[in-house]
Amino acid sequence: MARIQLENVTKRFGKVTALDGISLDIKDKEFFVLFGPAGAGKTTILNCIAGIQLPEEGVVKFDGEVVNLVDAAHRDTAMVFENYALYPQMTVYDNMASPLRSKLYKKDEEYIKNKVQEVAEMMKMENLLERLPSQLSNGQKQRVAMGRALVRSPRVYLMDEPLAHLDAKLRNSMRTELKAIQANFGTTSIYVTHDFMEAMSLGDRIAIVNKGKIVQIGTSDEIYYMPCNEFVAQLMGDPEINIVGGKLKKEGSGYFFTLNDVAERTYQLPEDQDLFRALDEAGLEDIELGIRPQNVKYSFEPKDDYTKCTVYSYESIGNKSVIVAEIGNLQLRMIAPNGLTVKIDQDIYVKLELDHAIFFNLETKEYVSRYNEAAVKALAAEQEG
Amino acid sequence: MNTASKRLGRIVQNGLLIIYAIFALFPLVWMLILSIKSDAEMYTTTFVFSPTLENYKAVLLESDYLQYMLDSLIVAGGAVIVSVVAGVPAAYALARYNFKKKEDIAFQILSFKFAPEILVVLPLFMIYQMLGIYDSYFGLIWVYQLISMPLLIWVVRGYFEDISVEIEYAAQVDGYNWYQIFFKNLIPLIKPGLVSAALLAFIFAWNCFTFPLMLGGTNVQPITVAITKFLGTDSAHYGQLAVAATISALPAIIFALCIQKHLVRGLSFGAVKG
Repeated sequence: MARIQLENVTKRFGKVTALDGISLDIKDKEFFVLFGPAGAGKTTILNCIAGIQLPEEGVVKFDGEVVNLVDAAHRDTAMVFENYALYPQMTVYDNMASPLRSKLYKKDEEYIKNKVQEVAEMMKMENLLERLPSQLSNGQKQRVAMGRALVRSPRVYLMDEPLAHLDAKLRNSMRTELKAIQANFGTTSIYVTHDFMEAMSLGDRIAIVNKGKIVQIGTSDEIYYMPCNEFVAQLMGDPEINIVGGKLKKEGSGYFFTLNDVAERTYQLPEDQDLFRALDEAGLEDIELGIRPQNVKYSFEPKDDYTKCTVYSYESIGNKSVIVAEIGNLQLRMIAPNGLTVKIDQDIYVKLELDHAIFFNLETKEYVSRYNEAAVKALAAEQEG
Repeated sequence: MNTASKRLGRIVQNGLLIIYAIFALFPLVWMLILSIKSDAEMYTTTFVFSPTLENYKAVLLESDYLQYMLDSLIVAGGAVIVSVVAGVPAAYALARYNFKKKEDIAFQILSFKFAPEILVVLPLFMIYQMLGIYDSYFGLIWVYQLISMPLLIWVVRGYFEDISVEIEYAAQVDGYNWYQIFFKNLIPLIKPGLVSAALLAFIFAWNCFTFPLMLGGTNVQPITVAITKFLGTDSAHYGQLAVAATISALPAIIFALCIQKHLVRGLSFGAVKG
């Protein structure tokens, strides 16, 4: 149990800067998720915390104490490696017992036996204990790697995509299990993933990492509703958010928005005092709106205020389906119930629910404001406690 | 047609293998036969003769043969032990750490094997004379490093490179220090490579002739050099030569049989995501 702080951590490999001035403050007992695209530096952050790699600059602190000079063995962490890193010459049981047999964390064999058994049951792999890693499937290896971390009660769990290779069903149940384990043990956990579902559901807070930098830190709702730029908005959410470019024009006290890609299609923005004030301040003319797929309404019959498009693609994904509609150069993703009969290139009428829109600066792609910003902020503040 | 041609293929295949086996084994069989012939029957080419153990008696009991064997064992065994003790850490360093001119150093080590022994033996002879290590166990073990060390380093380095570095990280996080990781986790994984490379190094050292001929003398005389003693100035005792050669081949054969299972590779596969 520990508070983990990184201050201005920079890590270079030769000429490549893997981490560029990372600062994080992970609270005690927090479930903290590092989320970002491949190669963003997530694993390097974990390695720096575990003590496997030493940062060139900056300090790593455990409970306020600088641990830069403490080696990996003495930092009292448990880590799940993305490529499992199981000991090939040892059985699953010995692999899982390994941390408890080291001089530092020595336990008697009786305790080890019970503990390994307990964790194996939790991971649903009691029947695998006698096997060698080479006799396991990838999903099983991954569970062993998790088990090896969970047998100990370290100051912090570091997990590098521990569920990536499990099948979908097991992944869901393990996700629930993990959340429960962490809540029970109350151990600080740092979890790396590139699956936004995992990030959203597991993390007390999420840090978005890109190109060796922290882009945004916040609760899942905060990041989902108030992404700090378009990159984050596109990363969080599936199907991906629609980004619609257009021109903003002020008339009287109201604002009008004209789509760039569709000639003469102009919307009057719904009234929101806070938003309009923010737009006044920004004084932007070119703007991009982020609209989540669930905020795009559609109809197969012409309706007032709906714009005519054609269907570009239609995918049914079980409990819902995704329609992509095309108008000019613009493609709009929207969520529909499944069981529809939709033909490619047929007409579809869509309406953008602008009162859920997120406003981005067209040039910098940075967040400007959104509807109901105050409510989102209040929610985030409440969640962070 | 299919089955017939398959059968024909198999017959041809096995026939060729049998011919090769005879080709490869015949000299050895002939040597064994020579060793139990008396000098009088030595040149008969029929397989009819009265077997005798006279040659074995002459070589094992009436000469210093066992002493030569012991010398060979000490020198070749010592060379392998030194190579393992120094070569495994060197291989680890070459596999894991990045330093300037790493590949050059690795190649330099390998290049020790390129030069013919006869090329370097003359200057070595003079250096050994000056250093006073001519005709000593130490001197021969040292010079044998030219033979055994490059082989061992290159084989073991490959094994270290195959082990994912995360395994070491994982062991560090589990609370082990470097020595524990090295002996508990890495050595078992490189064992197949280490054992087979050590065995090959031993055989090469055992078979080495030029170095002990020039750098050994009366004190240290490995078997390869000593065998020539059975070639007298007036007569060649082929029977005794055959005995000496047969017995000197035994240690390598015994070792090879003992560690056959380690020569099978594949232990380190499967634990790391492909």
